[in-house]
Amino acid sequence: MSTMFADTLLIVFISVCTALLAEGITWVLVYRTDKYKRLKAEVEKQSKKLSHLVYKTTIVVSCINIILPLWKRRWRLRKVKRHTNITEQTKNWKPNSGFLNYMEKKKETITESAGRQQKKKIERQEEKLKNNNRDLSMVRMKSMFAIGFCFTALMGMFNSIFDGRVVAKLPFTPLSYIQGLSHRNLLGDDTTDCSFIFLYILCTMSIRQNIQKILGLAPSRAATKQAGGFLGPPPPSGKFS
Amino acid sequence: AAGGGKRSRLSRSWPTGPSKSLSGARCCGATRPGRTRTGFCNLGQDEFLDVIYWFRQIIAVVLGVIWGVLPLRGFLGIAGFCLINAGVLYLYFSNYLQIDEEEYGGTWELTKEGFMTSFALFMVIWIIFYTAIHYD
Repeated sequence: MSTMFADTLLIVFISVCTALLAEGITWVLVYRTDKYKRLKAEVEKQSKKLSHLVYKTTIVVSCINIILPLWKRRWRLRKVKRHTNITEQTKNWKPNSGFLNYMEKKKETITESAGRQQKKKIERQEEKLKNNNRDLSMVRMKSMFAIGFCFTALMGMFNSIFDGRVVAKLPFTPLSYIQGLSHRNLLGDDTTDCSFIFLYILCTMSIRQNIQKILGLAPSRAATKQAGGFLGPPPPSGKFS
Repeated sequence: AAGGGKRSRLSRSWPTGPSKSLSGARCCGATRPGRTRTGFCNLGQDEFLDVIYWFRQIIAVVLGVIWGVLPLRGFLGIAGFCLINAGVLYLYFSNYLQIDEEEYGGTWELTKEGFMTSFALFMVIWIIFYTAIHYD
Protein backbone atom coordinates (compact mmCIF):
# COMPACT_ATOMS: atom_id res chain seq x y z
CA MET A 1 0.00 0.00 0.00
CA SER A 2 1.45 3.34 -1.03
CA THR A 3 1.96 6.22 1.37
CA MET A 4 -0.71 8.28 -0.36
CA PHE A 5 -3.43 5.67 0.02
CA ALA A 6 -2.40 5.05 3.62
CA ASP A 7 -2.80 8.79 4.26
CA THR A 8 -6.27 8.68 2.65
CA LEU A 9 -7.42 5.90 4.95
CA LEU A 10 -5.82 7.58 7.94
CA ILE A 11 -7.73 10.79 7.27
CA VAL A 12 -11.02 8.88 7.04
CA PHE A 13 -10.18 7.20 10.35
CA ILE A 14 -9.31 10.56 11.94
CA SER A 15 -12.61 11.96 10.71
CA VAL A 16 -14.57 9.08 12.26
CA CYS A 17 -12.72 9.52 15.56
CA THR A 18 -13.25 13.28 15.68
CA ALA A 19 -16.94 12.86 14.86
CA LEU A 20 -17.29 10.35 17.71
CA LEU A 21 -15.33 12.66 19.99
CA ALA A 22 -17.60 15.59 19.14
CA GLU A 23 -20.71 13.54 19.81
CA GLY A 24 -19.17 12.24 23.03
CA ILE A 25 -18.44 15.74 24.30
CA THR A 26 -21.93 16.89 23.30
CA TRP A 27 -23.47 13.91 25.06
CA VAL A 28 -21.58 14.60 28.28
CA LEU A 29 -22.31 18.32 28.29
CA VAL A 30 -25.76 18.45 26.70
CA TYR A 31 -27.63 15.33 25.68
CA ARG A 32 -27.72 13.58 29.05
CA THR A 33 -28.99 16.67 30.92
CA ASP A 34 -32.66 16.73 31.96
CA LYS A 35 -33.11 20.26 30.69
CA TYR A 36 -32.11 19.25 27.15
CA LYS A 37 -34.34 16.16 27.17
CA ARG A 38 -37.29 18.18 28.40
CA LEU A 39 -36.78 20.96 25.84
CA LYS A 40 -36.34 18.51 22.98
CA ALA A 41 -39.55 16.67 23.86
CA GLU A 42 -41.37 20.01 24.15
CA VAL A 43 -40.11 21.21 20.75
CA GLU A 44 -41.17 17.98 19.05
CA LYS A 45 -44.60 18.06 20.65
CA GLN A 46 -45.16 21.66 19.66
CA SER A 47 -43.93 21.12 16.11
CA LYS A 48 -46.41 18.29 15.64
CA LYS A 49 -49.17 20.41 17.14
CA LEU A 50 -48.30 23.26 14.78
CA SER A 51 -48.37 20.95 11.75
CA HIS A 52 -51.72 19.63 12.86
CA LEU A 53 -53.12 23.15 13.32
CA VAL A 54 -52.00 24.17 9.84
CA TYR A 55 -53.50 20.99 8.41
CA LYS A 56 -56.80 21.53 10.24
CA THR A 57 -57.04 25.08 8.96
CA THR A 58 -56.33 23.98 5.40
CA ILE A 59 -59.03 21.32 5.64
CA VAL A 60 -61.64 23.73 7.03
CA VAL A 61 -61.02 26.32 4.36
CA SER A 62 -60.80 23.70 1.59
CA CYS A 63 -64.12 22.20 2.68
CA ILE A 64 -65.80 25.56 2.48
CA ASN A 65 -64.34 26.14 -0.97
CA ILE A 66 -65.39 22.70 -2.18
CA ILE A 67 -68.81 22.22 -0.57
CA LEU A 68 -70.31 25.50 -1.74
CA PRO A 69 -69.73 24.85 -5.44
CA LEU A 70 -71.10 21.33 -4.98
CA TRP A 71 -74.31 22.72 -3.43
CA LYS A 72 -74.54 25.19 -6.26
CA ARG A 73 -74.15 22.48 -8.86
CA ARG A 74 -76.69 20.25 -7.14
CA TRP A 75 -79.23 23.09 -6.96
CA ARG A 76 -78.68 23.84 -10.60
CA LEU A 77 -79.18 20.22 -11.69
CA ARG A 78 -82.30 19.88 -9.53
CA LYS A 79 -83.84 22.95 -11.12
CA VAL A 80 -82.93 21.81 -14.61
CA LYS A 81 -84.57 18.39 -14.15
CA ARG A 82 -87.99 20.08 -13.94
CA HIS A 83 -87.75 21.06 -17.59
CA THR A 84 -87.91 18.72 -20.57
CA ASN A 85 -84.89 19.93 -22.56
CA ILE A 86 -82.12 19.34 -20.06
CA THR A 87 -79.17 20.12 -22.38
CA GLU A 88 -80.50 23.55 -23.44
CA GLN A 89 -81.32 24.60 -19.92
CA THR A 90 -77.92 23.68 -18.54
CA LYS A 91 -76.28 25.90 -21.14
CA ASN A 92 -78.34 29.00 -20.41
CA TRP A 93 -79.26 28.64 -16.78
CA LYS A 94 -77.80 31.06 -14.30
CA PRO A 95 -78.17 30.61 -10.56
CA ASN A 96 -80.53 33.00 -8.84
CA SER A 97 -81.33 31.17 -5.69
CA GLY A 98 -81.42 33.49 -2.73
CA PHE A 99 -79.75 30.91 -0.55
CA LEU A 100 -76.88 30.28 -2.92
CA ASN A 101 -76.24 33.99 -3.43
CA TYR A 102 -76.24 34.44 0.31
CA MET A 103 -73.76 31.59 0.72
CA GLU A 104 -71.53 32.97 -2.04
CA LYS A 105 -71.25 36.24 -0.17
CA LYS A 106 -70.92 34.43 3.13
CA LYS A 107 -68.11 32.22 1.78
CA GLU A 108 -65.67 35.08 1.94
CA THR A 109 -66.49 35.91 5.54
CA ILE A 110 -66.61 32.27 6.63
CA THR A 111 -63.21 31.62 5.05
CA GLU A 112 -61.83 34.81 6.50
CA SER A 113 -63.21 34.19 9.98
CA ALA A 114 -62.09 30.54 10.06
CA GLY A 115 -58.73 31.67 8.78
CA ARG A 116 -58.40 34.50 11.34
CA GLN A 117 -59.11 32.32 14.36
CA GLN A 118 -56.83 29.56 13.20
CA LYS A 119 -54.17 32.07 12.22
CA LYS A 120 -54.10 33.44 15.77
CA LYS A 121 -53.75 29.93 17.19
CA ILE A 122 -50.97 29.16 14.74
CA GLU A 123 -49.12 32.38 15.58
CA ARG A 124 -49.34 31.62 19.30
CA GLN A 125 -48.03 28.12 18.71
CA GLU A 126 -45.20 29.40 16.52
CA GLU A 127 -44.17 31.87 19.20
CA LYS A 128 -43.99 29.10 21.81
CA LEU A 129 -41.99 26.92 19.44
CA LYS A 130 -39.57 29.73 18.64
CA ASN A 131 -38.91 30.36 22.34
CA ASN A 132 -38.28 26.70 23.01
CA ASN A 133 -35.98 26.41 20.02
CA ARG A 134 -34.03 29.39 21.28
CA ASP A 135 -33.63 27.79 24.71
CA LEU A 136 -32.53 24.54 23.05
CA SER A 137 -29.88 26.39 21.04
CA MET A 138 -28.59 28.08 24.17
CA VAL A 139 -28.22 24.69 25.85
CA ARG A 140 -26.24 23.34 22.93
CA MET A 141 -24.03 26.44 22.84
CA LYS A 142 -21.67 25.30 25.61
CA SER A 143 -20.89 22.04 23.86
CA MET A 144 -20.17 23.99 20.68
CA PHE A 145 -17.58 26.09 22.50
CA ALA A 146 -15.91 23.01 23.96
CA ILE A 147 -15.88 21.24 20.59
CA GLY A 148 -14.59 24.34 18.82
CA PHE A 149 -11.73 24.65 21.29
CA CYS A 150 -10.74 20.96 21.00
CA PHE A 151 -10.97 20.91 17.27
CA THR A 152 -8.92 24.05 16.79
CA ALA A 153 -6.09 22.38 18.69
CA LEU A 154 -6.51 19.09 16.78
CA MET A 155 -6.67 20.78 13.39
CA GLY A 156 -3.51 22.70 14.12
CA MET A 157 -1.75 19.43 14.93
CA PHE A 158 -3.03 17.57 11.85
CA ASN A 159 -2.26 20.48 9.55
CA SER A 160 1.36 20.43 10.66
CA ILE A 161 1.56 16.63 10.24
CA PHE A 162 0.06 16.61 6.73
CA ASP A 163 1.55 19.90 5.58
CA GLY A 164 2.68 19.71 1.94
CA ARG A 165 1.59 16.07 1.56
CA VAL A 166 -0.65 14.89 -1.27
CA VAL A 167 -3.10 12.62 0.50
CA ALA A 168 -5.27 11.58 -2.48
CA LYS A 169 -5.86 12.11 -6.18
CA LEU A 170 -9.06 13.79 -7.20
CA PRO A 171 -10.90 12.26 -10.17
CA PHE A 172 -11.97 15.73 -11.25
CA THR A 173 -10.49 19.22 -11.47
CA PRO A 174 -12.07 21.39 -8.78
CA LEU A 175 -13.44 24.82 -9.54
CA SER A 176 -10.98 27.66 -9.12
CA TYR A 177 -12.39 28.92 -5.82
CA ILE A 178 -12.30 25.40 -4.37
CA GLN A 179 -8.69 24.88 -5.46
CA GLY A 180 -7.68 27.20 -2.64
CA LEU A 181 -8.89 24.47 -0.29
CA SER A 182 -8.14 21.32 -2.30
CA HIS A 183 -4.59 22.39 -3.22
CA ARG A 184 -3.77 24.11 0.05
CA ASN A 185 -0.05 24.15 0.95
CA LEU A 186 0.78 21.73 -1.88
CA LEU A 187 3.67 22.15 -4.30
CA GLY A 188 3.22 21.92 -8.06
CA ASP A 189 0.42 22.88 -10.43
CA ASP A 190 -1.46 19.61 -10.60
CA THR A 191 -4.91 20.63 -9.41
CA THR A 192 -6.02 17.03 -8.98
CA ASP A 193 -3.71 16.72 -5.98
CA CYS A 194 -5.77 16.66 -2.83
CA SER A 195 -4.69 18.24 0.43
CA PHE A 196 -5.55 17.06 3.92
CA ILE A 197 -8.06 19.77 4.70
CA PHE A 198 -10.26 19.17 1.64
CA LEU A 199 -10.54 15.43 2.22
CA TYR A 200 -11.07 15.96 5.93
CA ILE A 201 -13.93 18.38 5.31
CA LEU A 202 -15.62 15.96 2.90
CA CYS A 203 -15.20 13.10 5.35
CA THR A 204 -16.60 15.13 8.22
CA MET A 205 -19.62 16.26 6.18
CA SER A 206 -20.46 12.70 5.26
CA ILE A 207 -19.52 10.82 8.41
CA ARG A 208 -20.70 13.12 11.18
CA GLN A 209 -24.36 13.29 10.26
CA ASN A 210 -24.48 9.55 9.60
CA ILE A 211 -22.97 8.86 13.01
CA GLN A 212 -25.51 11.18 14.62
CA LYS A 213 -28.33 9.34 12.90
CA ILE A 214 -26.97 5.91 13.75
CA LEU A 215 -26.56 6.86 17.41
CA GLY A 216 -29.98 8.52 17.43
CA LEU A 217 -28.54 11.89 18.39
CA ALA A 218 -29.59 13.86 15.32
CA PRO A 219 -31.95 16.77 16.05
CA SER A 220 -35.51 16.19 14.86
CA ARG A 221 -36.54 17.58 11.51
CA ALA A 222 -39.28 19.64 13.02
CA ALA A 223 -36.82 21.39 15.32
CA THR A 224 -34.33 21.91 12.49
CA LYS A 225 -37.03 23.33 10.25
CA GLN A 226 -38.27 25.76 12.85
CA ALA A 227 -34.77 26.83 13.80
CA GLY A 228 -33.89 27.54 10.17
CA GLY A 229 -32.96 24.90 7.64
CA PHE A 230 -30.18 24.56 5.16
CA LEU A 231 -31.58 27.12 2.77
CA GLY A 232 -32.48 29.81 5.22
CA PRO A 233 -35.28 30.69 7.62
CA PRO A 234 -38.32 28.45 7.79
CA PRO A 235 -41.27 29.26 5.52
CA PRO A 236 -44.32 30.93 7.09
CA SER A 237 -46.75 28.30 8.21
CA GLY A 238 -49.89 30.42 8.34
CA LYS A 239 -50.86 29.88 4.70
CA PHE A 240 -54.28 28.41 4.22
CA SER A 241 -56.19 29.29 1.10
CA ALA B 1 -60.24 5.61 1.10
CA ALA B 2 -57.87 5.65 -1.86
CA GLY B 3 -59.62 6.25 -5.19
CA GLY B 4 -59.09 4.10 -8.23
CA GLY B 5 -58.69 6.98 -10.67
CA LYS B 6 -57.58 10.54 -10.02
CA ARG B 7 -55.73 11.57 -6.92
CA SER B 8 -57.90 13.06 -4.25
CA ARG B 9 -56.01 15.19 -1.81
CA LEU B 10 -58.71 15.01 0.85
CA SER B 11 -58.89 11.25 0.64
CA ARG B 12 -55.21 10.92 1.37
CA SER B 13 -53.84 9.99 4.68
CA TRP B 14 -52.11 12.53 6.83
CA PRO B 15 -48.87 11.60 8.55
CA THR B 16 -50.61 11.65 11.91
CA GLY B 17 -53.48 9.49 10.80
CA PRO B 18 -53.09 7.04 7.94
CA SER B 19 -56.28 6.28 6.08
CA LYS B 20 -57.54 2.88 5.01
CA SER B 21 -57.15 1.67 1.48
CA LEU B 22 -59.87 -0.23 -0.35
CA SER B 23 -58.39 -3.49 0.79
CA GLY B 24 -58.84 -2.38 4.37
CA ALA B 25 -55.16 -2.31 5.19
CA ARG B 26 -53.66 0.81 6.71
CA CYS B 27 -51.80 2.68 4.02
CA CYS B 28 -49.80 5.88 4.11
CA GLY B 29 -51.03 7.10 0.76
CA ALA B 30 -50.69 4.54 -2.03
CA THR B 31 -53.39 5.25 -4.56
CA ARG B 32 -53.70 1.91 -6.26
CA PRO B 33 -56.56 0.01 -4.71
CA GLY B 34 -55.50 -3.26 -3.23
CA ARG B 35 -51.83 -2.44 -3.67
CA THR B 36 -50.47 -1.89 -0.22
CA ARG B 37 -46.83 -2.09 0.68
CA THR B 38 -47.34 -2.52 4.38
CA GLY B 39 -43.64 -2.23 5.08
CA PHE B 40 -43.80 1.41 4.02
CA CYS B 41 -47.48 2.11 4.43
CA ASN B 42 -47.31 2.17 8.21
CA LEU B 43 -44.54 4.80 8.30
CA GLY B 44 -45.06 8.34 9.50
CA GLN B 45 -43.46 11.34 7.86
CA ASP B 46 -40.17 11.20 9.78
CA GLU B 47 -39.75 7.50 9.30
CA PHE B 48 -40.36 7.77 5.57
CA LEU B 49 -37.85 10.60 5.28
CA ASP B 50 -35.34 8.40 7.14
CA VAL B 51 -35.90 5.69 4.54
CA ILE B 52 -35.23 8.23 1.79
CA TYR B 53 -32.13 9.41 3.65
CA TRP B 54 -30.56 5.96 4.01
CA PHE B 55 -31.53 4.99 0.49
CA ARG B 56 -29.58 8.05 -0.69
CA GLN B 57 -26.53 7.03 1.32
CA ILE B 58 -26.58 3.54 -0.18
CA ILE B 59 -26.84 5.00 -3.70
CA ALA B 60 -23.91 7.30 -2.90
CA VAL B 61 -21.72 4.38 -1.76
CA VAL B 62 -22.63 2.23 -4.77
CA LEU B 63 -22.06 4.99 -7.29
CA GLY B 64 -18.84 6.07 -5.57
CA VAL B 65 -17.45 2.54 -5.90
CA ILE B 66 -18.56 2.19 -9.54
CA TRP B 67 -17.29 5.63 -10.55
CA GLY B 68 -13.97 5.00 -8.79
CA VAL B 69 -13.46 1.58 -10.40
CA LEU B 70 -14.42 2.50 -13.99
CA PRO B 71 -13.02 5.26 -13.58
CA LEU B 72 -15.36 8.07 -14.39
CA ARG B 73 -13.66 11.43 -14.23
CA GLY B 74 -14.56 15.07 -14.24
CA PHE B 75 -17.77 16.99 -14.03
CA LEU B 76 -19.57 14.14 -15.82
CA GLY B 77 -19.13 11.97 -12.78
CA ILE B 78 -20.56 14.59 -10.45
CA ALA B 79 -23.46 15.43 -12.76
CA GLY B 80 -24.16 11.74 -13.30
CA PHE B 81 -24.34 11.16 -9.57
CA CYS B 82 -26.70 14.09 -8.99
CA LEU B 83 -29.03 12.99 -11.78
CA ILE B 84 -29.07 9.34 -10.79
CA ASN B 85 -29.48 10.10 -7.10
CA ALA B 86 -32.34 12.53 -7.59
CA GLY B 87 -33.91 10.55 -10.44
CA VAL B 88 -33.91 7.15 -8.77
CA LEU B 89 -35.43 8.51 -5.58
CA TYR B 90 -38.00 10.52 -7.48
CA LEU B 91 -39.08 7.48 -9.48
CA TYR B 92 -39.16 5.47 -6.28
CA PHE B 93 -41.50 7.68 -4.30
CA SER B 94 -43.47 9.06 -7.22
CA ASN B 95 -44.03 6.06 -9.49
CA TYR B 96 -43.38 3.03 -7.34
CA LEU B 97 -44.83 4.11 -3.97
CA GLN B 98 -47.15 6.68 -5.59
CA ILE B 99 -47.23 8.84 -2.51
CA ASP B 100 -48.65 12.31 -2.39
CA GLU B 101 -45.51 14.43 -2.13
CA GLU B 102 -47.41 17.22 -0.37
CA GLU B 103 -47.96 14.98 2.64
CA TYR B 104 -44.22 14.78 3.17
CA GLY B 105 -43.45 18.45 2.61
CA GLY B 106 -43.39 18.53 -1.19
CA THR B 107 -41.11 17.15 -3.90
CA TRP B 108 -38.32 19.55 -2.93
CA GLU B 109 -38.27 18.30 0.68
CA LEU B 110 -38.04 14.72 -0.50
CA THR B 111 -35.37 15.59 -3.04
CA LYS B 112 -33.14 17.47 -0.63
CA GLU B 113 -33.51 15.00 2.23
CA GLY B 114 -29.97 13.76 2.88
CA PHE B 115 -28.71 15.01 -0.47
CA MET B 116 -25.68 16.97 0.74
CA THR B 117 -24.57 14.19 3.08
CA SER B 118 -24.91 11.63 0.30
CA PHE B 119 -22.98 13.91 -2.06
CA ALA B 120 -20.11 14.23 0.41
CA LEU B 121 -20.14 10.46 1.00
CA PHE B 122 -20.11 9.83 -2.73
CA MET B 123 -17.11 12.16 -3.16
CA VAL B 124 -15.19 10.43 -0.37
CA ILE B 125 -15.83 6.92 -1.73
CA TRP B 126 -15.10 8.02 -5.29
CA ILE B 127 -11.79 9.64 -4.27
CA ILE B 128 -10.76 6.63 -2.16
CA PHE B 129 -11.43 4.05 -4.87
CA TYR B 130 -9.96 6.22 -7.60
CA THR B 131 -6.77 6.80 -5.58
CA ALA B 132 -6.51 3.13 -4.55
CA ILE B 133 -7.07 1.57 -7.98
CA HIS B 134 -5.56 4.10 -10.37
CA TYR B 135 -2.82 5.72 -8.34
CA ASP B 136 -1.71 3.12 -5.84
